[in-house]
Amino acid sequence: MCHYPARFAVRVDTDRKARLFVAKINSGAKAFTALQIYLPIAEISVNLFFLMGMGGAVGFLSGLFGVGGGFLLTPLLIFTGIPAPVAVASVTGQVTAASTSGAWSYWRRAGIDLHLALYLVLAGILGAFGGVMAFSALRAVGQLDLVISISYLVFLGLVGTLMLNEAVRSLLKRRAGVISRDKLPGKHNWIHGLPMRVRFKRSNLYVSVLPVLAIGAAIGFLGALLGIGGGFILVPALIYLLRVPGNVVIGTSLVQVLAIMAASTVLHAVNSQSVDILLAFCLMVGGVIGAQFGASAGQYLRGDQLRALLGLLVLLVAIRFAFSLLVTPEDPFSTAILGIGEDVQ
Amino acid sequence: MRWLRTCLVALLTLGVTAPVGAERLVSVVSDKVVSIDSTFSGETMTLFGNIEPDLDSGDHYVEGPFDVIVVIQGPAQDRVTRRKTRQLGVWLNTEQLAFKSIPSFFWVLASDELTDIASDELLTMEGILPETRPQLTVVQGSGDPQTFGTELVRLMTEAGLYGVDPRGVHFQSDTLYSAQVALPADVPNGNFLARTYLFKNGEIASMRAEGFSVRKTGFEQFLNLSARQYPWAYGFACVIVAIFTGWLGGVVFRR
Repeated sequence: MCHYPARFAVRVDTDRKARLFVAKINSGAKAFTALQIYLPIAEISVNLFFLMGMGGAVGFLSGLFGVGGGFLLTPLLIFTGIPAPVAVASVTGQVTAASTSGAWSYWRRAGIDLHLALYLVLAGILGAFGGVMAFSALRAVGQLDLVISISYLVFLGLVGTLMLNEAVRSLLKRRAGVISRDKLPGKHNWIHGLPMRVRFKRSNLYVSVLPVLAIGAAIGFLGALLGIGGGFILVPALIYLLRVPGNVVIGTSLVQVLAIMAASTVLHAVNSQSVDILLAFCLMVGGVIGAQFGASAGQYLRGDQLRALLGLLVLLVAIRFAFSLLVTPEDPFSTAILGIGEDVQ
Repeated sequence: MRWLRTCLVALLTLGVTAPVGAERLVSVVSDKVVSIDSTFSGETMTLFGNIEPDLDSGDHYVEGPFDVIVVIQGPAQDRVTRRKTRQLGVWLNTEQLAFKSIPSFFWVLASDELTDIASDELLTMEGILPETRPQLTVVQGSGDPQTFGTELVRLMTEAGLYGVDPRGVHFQSDTLYSAQVALPADVPNGNFLARTYLFKNGEIASMRAEGFSVRKTGFEQFLNLSARQYPWAYGFACVIVAIFTGWLGGVVFRR
């Protein structure tokens, strides 16, 4: 007769272990500082310093590499028990702040090509609209999860491998005593032969606007579809396709990320009402501090070293992601609150 | 409204199933309102009560032994349960089933093992067993409701939102009992219903329903309302805060 305890037998899975571990860190920090903060939209209580520390660590990377860091922060937040839609939406706010801070620091060093950024942002906004439409279309045919997962894997894997490969080669050359210029070899490729050329003074470029607009639109499209700022794709695209010099590439990329993420924050707030301003603010405070240190640290590293590190980071995330897709999950079941406007076919 | 409906259902079932016994329950909840402020990190609720002779029966004392079950039920929410399957070589959420208006919180406190207090049939009929909850709601989507319902209850139990505590009700004397439930830090907000059942010889002798609410106060409530009622303004406010914080950081840490 007594059958319910058996049915309740707790199946401990890795995810739960990780959550317990985070909870343990959380409670350890709690004993240390006793500063819990209740997040009104996430409806959960989290340690303030834990949040700010996490924001700070990711902000450091964002300042160092000129990427938003959303692709690292979102999974971390979900791990700590914050509902996924709230994590995704609130991180857009944090990325907006971190990229503002980073962009400001590059602006003072004349590290932004505003002319180029303007083209990228305008095309990016158009691309974002396309991304939102593709999102709805894919959801309607029930293939959204598959497309998002595969795209993540392909982009992270491809970008990571390409960057790491190029950067390691460059590092080896330097070690071999070859003096390499800051500009990449083969400054002109087929892209530079396209019509409608525009002069970008700060970047010392005279290229067609077509590839610039195409890159901007593609990043906007992917950003809206995959929920990422796209910095980790934009930086290599600007370097390898357009040959934008290293001293303005990160600052310019940050401006694009800032614009796209600011727009996403508003869209998330309106569509899903899942932006937790308190959560975003705690992450921001940590993030802007981290981003300043990251931007300063970036000056002590050479371009190829930075690219090698970012390539490695992106590749690691890709591997982690591939792992979760390919390895049989310990618990195939999961549950979540049905969000506003969300429905199940 | 949902809470009212639940209340009505509870009262109706009470009318149908509860025999007019010689006992009645007098019960109290320690807090009618659990306020959530920025430092909220969970709270312990105490429910206590006394078993008294029914006024109509003319008795002056009650005769045991008694068993008490307290069912604490949170506000209803729509939940989706997903199952991953292998598709084109990768593991993806392919099947999903939505459960409409399922309790967001469901804890059963009892003075003994449930199976020793009453029969499974009676417990199921009264909606006391957590595993019967998914069967009581409307489902939508692909997937077997039986399997997905069982898994949903398991997942909610692992998250600490559902559960059965056979030692959750203590008798302080023959007729005075108390029950304690720990509301976790991520307790759902809204109206809660605490149903107290008095069992005697495996039958329901009496039943009481008590309501309490968990709600945000002050700044937390202000933020929550803004996000719901003025989403555009809230979104722009978030961006302004973000840009200002970012800029301030840049100025403060100028080097």
